Amino acid sequence: MKAWWLVPFCKTLHYFGITVLVGVVGLVDLRIFGVAKGLPLRPLQRLMPWAVVSFLIAAASGYALLRISPASALGPPLNIAFAAKIVWLVLIGLNDVLYFATGLKRQVDGVGAGQSTSASAKIVAAVSIILWVGVVYWSRVLTFLAGAI
Amino acid sequence: MHIVEILQRWTESNAFFTWLRESPSVWAYPFVFFVHTLGLVFTAGASVVIDARLLGAARRLPIAPLARFYGAIWIGLACTVLSGAVMLGSDLETRIKNPFFPVKMLFVVVAIVLTALLRSRISSVDSAESTVSPPMRALAAVSLLCWLGAIASGKFAAYF
Repeated sequence: MKAWWLVPFCKTLHYFGITVLVGVVGLVDLRIFGVAKGLPLRPLQRLMPWAVVSFLIAAASGYALLRISPASALGPPLNIAFAAKIVWLVLIGLNDVLYFATGLKRQVDGVGAGQSTSASAKIVAAVSIILWVGVVYWSRVLTFLAGAI
Repeated sequence: MHIVEILQRWTESNAFFTWLRESPSVWAYPFVFFVHTLGLVFTAGASVVIDARLLGAARRLPIAPLARFYGAIWIGLACTVLSGAVMLGSDLETRIKNPFFPVKMLFVVVAIVLTALLRSRISSVDSAESTVSPPMRALAAVSLLCWLGAIASGKFAAYF
């Protein structure tokens, strides 16, 4: 017998994690596009560990929700939106690996107040925003297909 | 007649709200819910990050230029409020009776007021020193708690 508050509690944690994560990612991406140009990028990117911690909170609470009601995501039949969400998250991971491994992150660190970022940094930021919007979209379709809305 | 009753009659007979309530399409209610979620995570997320900076995180980050992010924050907020109002209208009677509804509205209103207050003060923070006055830090702390409270009460409302 599960306590009634367990699912909303896990969903709240999941939402908190995603909120802070999207906050950090969104502000860094916007600055890369040239919004709030007065900000130097090195100290802004220092917020990234917060995004990592938030991701771990979202992942752990997401895993807990999956264990509580596996059928709503894993089926059978498999929830297409859940599969798409995981694929999108993997693509985000690859985009991040690209950002760090190619030295782009370090290049962006050198962009000071009032300076513009390179075109390649803008492309990676655009891909990041599009993919995160996709993750939120699939999450809503996931809930819809699971019959919860 | 009570204002809620008038609104209720209108949303119950209105073609748009009826479509939203009854359509099985993923582009009806789920899409409005998607806009709500997207707007909320960005608005609340950006606000929480700015609150964290005011409370002492990322000390090397100058504060005044953060004011330029508020254009995007207000757009996100407008999307959230509009989609929220639309979802509220699609099922006014049930939602308004939910005990978490007034709690959520209180958190949301205080969070929005504090976001506007902080916005008006942020641009005058000296970038060289980046010191934050205790009252401003208090506003940031309450703002952070209200955004998290709004999210939590929204989640709990769905299970009550």
